[in-house]
Amino acid sequence: MIGVNKPVTDVKSAKSNGENHLKMMIKAINHTISYDETAYHLPISFALTGIAVHDQKTALDVFNRTNSNPMVALECITAEKTAADGREPPPYTGFIDDTVIRKLGYSLVDGSILGLALVVGTPQSADRAAALCRELQEKYMLTFLAGDIIASLSRAGVKVGLEYRLIPLGSKPAYGIHFVDIIARVAMMFGGVTPGDIHRLLTYAAERARAIVIVFPGLSDQEIAFVDGMRVLGFPILSLGDYEGGDWISALPDEVVRRGMEIKGIRVNVTAIPIPMGCSPAFEGKSIRKEEMYVEFGGGRTPAFELLQMVNAEEIKDGQITVIGPEIEAMKEGSAYPLGIIIKVAGKMMKKEYEPVLERRIHNFVNYGEGSWHVAQRDIVWIRISKEVVAKGVKIEHIGKLLASKFRMDFPQLLDAVSVTLITDEAKVLSAKKDAEKVYEERDSRIRGMRDSDVNTYYSCTLCQTFAPNHVCVITPEHPALCGAISWLDGKIAYEIAPSGANQPIEKGAFINAQNGEYEGVNKFVKKASHGEIDRCSLYSLMEYPMTCCGCFECIALMLPEVNGIMIVNREFKGITPSGMTFSTLAGTIGGGSQTPGFIGISKNYILSDRFLQGEGGIERLVWMPSQLKEELKTRLAKKLSDQNKSDLFEKIADETKATTIEDLISYLDSVKHPALTMKPLV
Amino acid sequence: MGYDLHFGWTGVIGPVTLGATKAEGGTRKMAYHIGGGTTLPFLDTTPPSSSPLVALEICDNPEYWSPIVRHFCGDLVTTADDWAKTAETVYGADLVRLYLTSTRERNFSDIVSIGKTVESVLQATALPLIIEGSNEPRIDSDVFQKCGEVAQGEKLLLGTAEASRYRSIAASAIAYNHSLIAQSPIDVNLAKQLNILLREIGVQRDHIIIDPYTGALGYGFEYSYSAMERIRFSALKGDADLGMPMISSAIDSLNIKEVREADPEQQDDMAVQWEYYTGIAAAVAGAEIISVRHPKTVGLLKNAFASFKKSADFSEVK
Repeated sequence: MIGVNKPVTDVKSAKSNGENHLKMMIKAINHTISYDETAYHLPISFALTGIAVHDQKTALDVFNRTNSNPMVALECITAEKTAADGREPPPYTGFIDDTVIRKLGYSLVDGSILGLALVVGTPQSADRAAALCRELQEKYMLTFLAGDIIASLSRAGVKVGLEYRLIPLGSKPAYGIHFVDIIARVAMMFGGVTPGDIHRLLTYAAERARAIVIVFPGLSDQEIAFVDGMRVLGFPILSLGDYEGGDWISALPDEVVRRGMEIKGIRVNVTAIPIPMGCSPAFEGKSIRKEEMYVEFGGGRTPAFELLQMVNAEEIKDGQITVIGPEIEAMKEGSAYPLGIIIKVAGKMMKKEYEPVLERRIHNFVNYGEGSWHVAQRDIVWIRISKEVVAKGVKIEHIGKLLASKFRMDFPQLLDAVSVTLITDEAKVLSAKKDAEKVYEERDSRIRGMRDSDVNTYYSCTLCQTFAPNHVCVITPEHPALCGAISWLDGKIAYEIAPSGANQPIEKGAFINAQNGEYEGVNKFVKKASHGEIDRCSLYSLMEYPMTCCGCFECIALMLPEVNGIMIVNREFKGITPSGMTFSTLAGTIGGGSQTPGFIGISKNYILSDRFLQGEGGIERLVWMPSQLKEELKTRLAKKLSDQNKSDLFEKIADETKATTIEDLISYLDSVKHPALTMKPLV
Repeated sequence: MGYDLHFGWTGVIGPVTLGATKAEGGTRKMAYHIGGGTTLPFLDTTPPSSSPLVALEICDNPEYWSPIVRHFCGDLVTTADDWAKTAETVYGADLVRLYLTSTRERNFSDIVSIGKTVESVLQATALPLIIEGSNEPRIDSDVFQKCGEVAQGEKLLLGTAEASRYRSIAASAIAYNHSLIAQSPIDVNLAKQLNILLREIGVQRDHIIIDPYTGALGYGFEYSYSAMERIRFSALKGDADLGMPMISSAIDSLNIKEVREADPEQQDDMAVQWEYYTGIAAAVAGAEIISVRHPKTVGLLKNAFASFKKSADFSEVK
């Protein structure tokens, strides 16, 4: 502040001055005090203590009980002044009636107002004040004004009043006290706060009231004491003026609203995506053929990658799209260019481990675009943009806009800000891709390392109870949902996004049977979630208390007693299996939410898990699966087997080319000396 | 006898109050306290379970209403307050359920008229009211605000909240102390989820009535029956998030093929039978309020419920 001529106010000393002054003023009250048109007396005092203030004695009583709270003092003083002098002339509203508060509270619950703002003081310029209030209006904030800001707005031609969501409380910043009496009443009317329950009041104000305070210069010491007093309610005090010291947050005019809203977690929902092409899941299935394509990226033709990372909120600007390198106009029709998509996200609830899950959504979102197409992931992506939409004006930039908007729309609880950088300059893509590869490797090692024993919380999925009323999926890091669509991380995120949804946390509790993966906590949860139908559930066993099946399983695993082994059939396989049944016959037998020892529904990935059929002795029990499934899993399964020194097992697992009847299977397994034949009997 | 008619259950269906008398701050001639059950309906328990209430559905713009009812009621349907009054005095309904069908007109914006309609229906009948707001998210906020405001003190039952659309109705219920109907599509878990969402926004449990959605008999009713049964079992086993009274309204009954294609002279009977049997089954599944559209169904259901009660002797059944 050296060299600045303007006086700078020290918040701390002003506050203590102001508090002393307020104390003297409350002692000087000598009239009866009350507000009209309210059932809540002096609402702040009433909410805090349950005492109805009407004279000096009761005022001092409340003041002492609240440890000389400056808001209480100012409320009493303001009420006395109002009772004595009457209200200020219009446009000032002064104290607002209960009936109006009920309507305001309605709009808050209803969501047509996102939050509340109090703006006080003397703006440096009328235009600045106008811009600030316009931004608050655009962001669905209900704004209360006190002090010279109101005159500034009228000079700038801004209309005020309830219908404009700009409410002029009074001519002095001190009238901002009505902001607090409004919140106190909303808490009592809508928040179930009983007068005098100070703890609930503070919790309500901090967690539910979603209010911010913006301060321009020109506050008196008493007003500073009052404004600072609102911190106890959990409202961020954002300073645009010459205040220093204390716990006020100094901000710049063009970022103050965003920062305040971010601190309180107030989010504006994105509803429309501003790009010149349609964007909907309806377009997800379409493909863009070579002759329809204007330009493509990756797919083995050019270097391309995508990466989503979490950063701190200050590091990005929400909705910012940056294109580094040539835009679409500089690209030749029908050719391939390099592309790097780097998405940075920030959010209070965002966690590093969610990154890969969110990153996978890039695939869906790009495909939602009417003329954009996406396959694969990470550094093997392949993206095309159609001639049709390029003709309509779609640019590389719009892919970024689409991604930023969709991430905000689909993860409103998780993400506060999303920015997207698109690189089309080859050298820069290559260098950024190297960094991305390091991130992929770190993630892989983290996920690879993740074991059921590393976490205490598993997740349930009861999405299918609509048609399988008692089915409960238990999802662990090594045991994905049987539909294959929900991993443990997905379950965790789904729970955080929708805490009352179909994925609930399960404290696994103590082992009952480590081999079979039976836990006390899981049993307890399953009993409740299956409406009392299922008492026990082993996660890794198909013979004893197996998990229930809905109908969505990717594969069915079942015991073949004749060979002392277990076979798997996937949904895509239409033929007959050595069990004598097809997939659909089997599915009809075991689905619907029942527990059928000897049979389970599983996901394909579970076959590759170290916990696969642990209860029955693991992968060595596997005697048969369709060749197509075998082929699909080949690379990963072969690697896994070789890591366990069981490389020869892969060939010993029969498929429909080796056996379609149990007799053929027996002779095949004999001929290859399949280990299942000599394992502990299954039954 | 000798059976435990509570089956070891410990849960109670939480009570909900509909309507307020003058002494209670409203203008209704009675207030219903529904819920409070500890077992299934119509069992021989002490104290005996109370009979389900029967609501007659009416509307303020008959253009959007069943032609069968329009034909049966004649000119009555053109004035909602006369219709409401007749529901009470002639048809013998326990509750009047007013659908604000006028809001379905394209670009509807006359919110003031909504307030007037609600006020005049409140004056025309002394029965507790169920009000069904708009069908259009764009005007939800204004419509529910207006209904809530003009009927403050009357303890209305407001309909209908769904998972994708509950904020306005919840706001109105909280702001003006009404109860609301929470509807989910025939799914016990979704019913529970909506109740939790409502609780989180601040609606008290004793202000919620569950509507599990009722398909017409032969048109999916068995799914509704099963959902209702499971909601009730969960509640009685102690799940407080499902421990609310239920309402059942098989609104499709008057549109189904059998009714539509019936001989003109039999159409009324067919409609009444379909509503009647659906209503009986829904009551057996546990619904505390059965809501119907055909006036003739009201009396039939009330007689049937009276005859189901153990204490009923035949003099009670007319």
